[in-house]
Amino acid sequence: MELLINPLSLTVLLPAIAGLGIFAIPRDSAAALKGYALAASLAVFAVSLRLWTGFDAAAAVMQFGLDKPWLPSYGIHYALGIDGISLLMILLTTFLVPLSVLASFNYIKESQRAYYACLLFLEAGMVGVFAALDLFVFYLFWEAMLIPMYFLIGIWGGPRRVYAALKFFIYTMAGSVLMLAAILWVVAAHHAAAGAWTFSIPALYAGALTEQAQFWLFAAFALAFAVKVPLFPFHTWLPDAHVEAPTAGSVILAGVLLKMGVYGYLRLAVPLFPQAAVTFAPWLAGLGVVGIIYGSLVAWSQRDMKKMVAYSSVAHLGTVMLGAMAFEPAAVSGAVLQMVNHGLSTGALFLLVGVLYERRHTRLIEDYGGLAKVMPGFAAVFMIVTLSSVGLPGLNGFIGEALVLFGSFRVYPWLASAAVAGVILSAVYMLGMYQQVVFGPLRHTENKILKDLDLREWLYLAPLLVFIVLIGVWPNPFLRRVLPAVDNYITLSRQQPAPPPALVKLALDGEEAR
Amino acid sequence: MTFDPVPYAASALAGPLLLTLAAFAVLLLPLFFKTLRGTQGLVSLGAVLVTLVFFRAAPPAQLAFFSGALNLSPLSAYLWAFAMGVLALFIALSLARPAAPAEHEGEYYFLASMATIGLMVMMAAGDLFTAFIALELLSLPVYALAGIRRSKPGLEAAYKYFMLGAFGSGMTVLGIAVLNALYPSLDFVSLKAALPAQPLALAGFLLVISGFAFKTALVPFHMWVPDAYEGAPTQVSAFMGAAVKAGGVVLLWRLFSLFDGGPVREIFWWLTVVTAVFANLAALAQNGLKRLLAYSSIAHAGYIAVAFFGGTRGWEAVLYYLPVYAMATIGAFGVTLILERDEKGPKIDDLAGLGRTRPWLAAAMAAFMFSLAGVPPLAGFFAKFYAFAGAVASGYTSLVVIAVLMSAVSIYYYLRVTVVMYMKVPANGEDHPAGAPGLAEALVFLMAAGVLLAGLFSRPLLALAAEAARWF
Repeated sequence: MELLINPLSLTVLLPAIAGLGIFAIPRDSAAALKGYALAASLAVFAVSLRLWTGFDAAAAVMQFGLDKPWLPSYGIHYALGIDGISLLMILLTTFLVPLSVLASFNYIKESQRAYYACLLFLEAGMVGVFAALDLFVFYLFWEAMLIPMYFLIGIWGGPRRVYAALKFFIYTMAGSVLMLAAILWVVAAHHAAAGAWTFSIPALYAGALTEQAQFWLFAAFALAFAVKVPLFPFHTWLPDAHVEAPTAGSVILAGVLLKMGVYGYLRLAVPLFPQAAVTFAPWLAGLGVVGIIYGSLVAWSQRDMKKMVAYSSVAHLGTVMLGAMAFEPAAVSGAVLQMVNHGLSTGALFLLVGVLYERRHTRLIEDYGGLAKVMPGFAAVFMIVTLSSVGLPGLNGFIGEALVLFGSFRVYPWLASAAVAGVILSAVYMLGMYQQVVFGPLRHTENKILKDLDLREWLYLAPLLVFIVLIGVWPNPFLRRVLPAVDNYITLSRQQPAPPPALVKLALDGEEAR
Repeated sequence: MTFDPVPYAASALAGPLLLTLAAFAVLLLPLFFKTLRGTQGLVSLGAVLVTLVFFRAAPPAQLAFFSGALNLSPLSAYLWAFAMGVLALFIALSLARPAAPAEHEGEYYFLASMATIGLMVMMAAGDLFTAFIALELLSLPVYALAGIRRSKPGLEAAYKYFMLGAFGSGMTVLGIAVLNALYPSLDFVSLKAALPAQPLALAGFLLVISGFAFKTALVPFHMWVPDAYEGAPTQVSAFMGAAVKAGGVVLLWRLFSLFDGGPVREIFWWLTVVTAVFANLAALAQNGLKRLLAYSSIAHAGYIAVAFFGGTRGWEAVLYYLPVYAMATIGAFGVTLILERDEKGPKIDDLAGLGRTRPWLAAAMAAFMFSLAGVPPLAGFFAKFYAFAGAVASGYTSLVVIAVLMSAVSIYYYLRVTVVMYMKVPANGEDHPAGAPGLAEALVFLMAAGVLLAGLFSRPLLALAAEAARWF
């Protein structure tokens, strides 16, 4: 029962249990299904708030720990625990899911029961990834989460949904199978050196691996995470998946799934293989900056709003990677904060595009114009979100971007300078899009009868606005909780290599290592 | 620990004996008593269930019977329970959807029981001669089962299977003859002690290994598999996938473990790689569901072979892998059986719209596909994980890297089934009338529950497998 008493474990398991429970409701009672899904996701959010209130911001250790032996023959434990970084990620997840549920009420009309079940299973998987302190558990959630997301895109998505769903699944899976091999290798090496099987992430941090081994292992992990982030040039699945997914799917993809990639670097790839990480870091940061510029330029040329937002995600995540790879407190904490910000603002942008799409069934920029006249409420919300996305001071995006740029300038001056160009570009295309959609004359007669935001839409947009402003003016509560974890990460990344381990001998082929 | 071997042996051997009796009863009695016709399946199933009564927890010891021909140990108990389980599922599937014409029901269940006895003997065999005889006892009935309908595809399947199978058996016999000339005794223990081998012995071993590789369907000994799986009655295909393969695996594993290194291991390495690569690539091009499952079964033979390289951990993994794979395969063939309209089974595209018309059946099929693909949290992932973990720990990282890359390839064809079920509309407006759920559906859902739970709660099964693996 400890599994359900520990608030962290409950946050992981409750959505899965709720997802199973939804099958007790008859499939055609739509109102009951919606109500149940909303109530369940709000309940999960309520549980996760206990993580926030009970979190000791000063402590640098993993909190809400739970450690249950699961598969003892391999030393696999159901081990959970969070630091400030995982705390923010988990709260972002549990915060976005109820909003996504609410946003799906009108959009999803077919097989609603399966849809909400998928959303809830997805939530369990995402929270599990952020909460796992055992490599096996991490990998399990990391992969398991693909199944509900695949169905969300493939069943309820747009016209090219099958292609997008397959591409999403195969890209991410192909990226992560090598990580599985690498995980097995790390664990086997630890077993060979220490004589015990363990998948515990903290226990493996101090691993004694040769430089060459670290290089390949880091490469395998980095590939899996790079696909997820997505770093240029592994990003090609993202525009397809984002565009074809239903609104809620896009919100969760952008809001949470992409963060799992960066989180993987912060929690696993870098602390496990610090020496290799130092070698790879400039390249990864460089790819991040390439992503910023490339993503911005491609976004600029889009006519489809959803595609534009999708490419802007590539750019934003590039900024995050630049920060994460700088190993500098300001940059890394900025990167973590920017992960939250991107989840909020891009999530809101997808929701707003969804609002328009539900009314007009088009996402092309040129089909709109002058919306300020018919939808003033929408125009105002859209304005705030756009400004947050481009990093206007006073809103959340500014804090994150500024921290990343200031911090990384000390480490990678050239890259940081190039990244600034990306920030400017993002203002160009986002504001350009905003102007074409909202201002100007009402060119299309169909647009004259568009209704402004209704209560339900206000309900799911308002919480996002609150946090967009709140983080912008008062980021301290968030940063304060992140800083110890960031310091930990930086310390781990500077780990001195252990003396060359004579005992660790893993022949490439041949006899069993003892 | 001392214990009285007699009651244990009696209870352990009661299973096969009872099965033999029941087999002859269902074959012969209905000839004389007309009222018994049509009950053969139930009687066979009943016999399998009665053998459960005789199941005892195997004592931690190895007992040699019939001058070492049969070795009873926790290992054989585990494998026998597996074989009986597969037989029970096979009979139940055949009860739900009869494969044989009514006048051949007796033969049908007789043959299946005899094949299972062959499988059990093969799994417990202590020497190569016994293993070979058991192999024939397993194979001959399955050839006949494949063609039991005497329809064109069935006969074709039986014919191909028989020709290639006979070729394989011939190689095995030749190999055994060579080894018999070189070694004083052909039981596995003394063979292991008598190595290192001379070149002629190596040739003998390779011949024997190729013979069993036929049954396990390792590339390049897999040619019979797609045609046989496609043409045989679907119930029989399920039996081939789950049971015949398991027999081959156990024997190959015994042969493999005779060698600590050297050319035989190298050849196994290549067999594994070629199997994993070829089967997964070939599966991409399949359109028939049964052919797809056939290639998938070849691919899984490759993954199981990876586990051979993992030492003790690997044996444990193989023992865990077999039932998990059997559940997914029997389940998938069960779905095929429910949907099939002709003998060759449905095309993959015929599953279009299944997610809408029969959502639970589609969900079960999706679970089997994800399990076979090795996506967590389904049991197939755990099976692959254990199989690969042992091999990595023993230093065969390159082998595992190839295997995981190929299982990433396999995602595509397994996903294709789910794509068709959930994301495609039937081309000709054809849909799948949901019949009243019957025994076949119940079996499919039982298997689906198995692949869902056997992974997350793999501790008990893994503990049994570990205990059994110690007695290898």
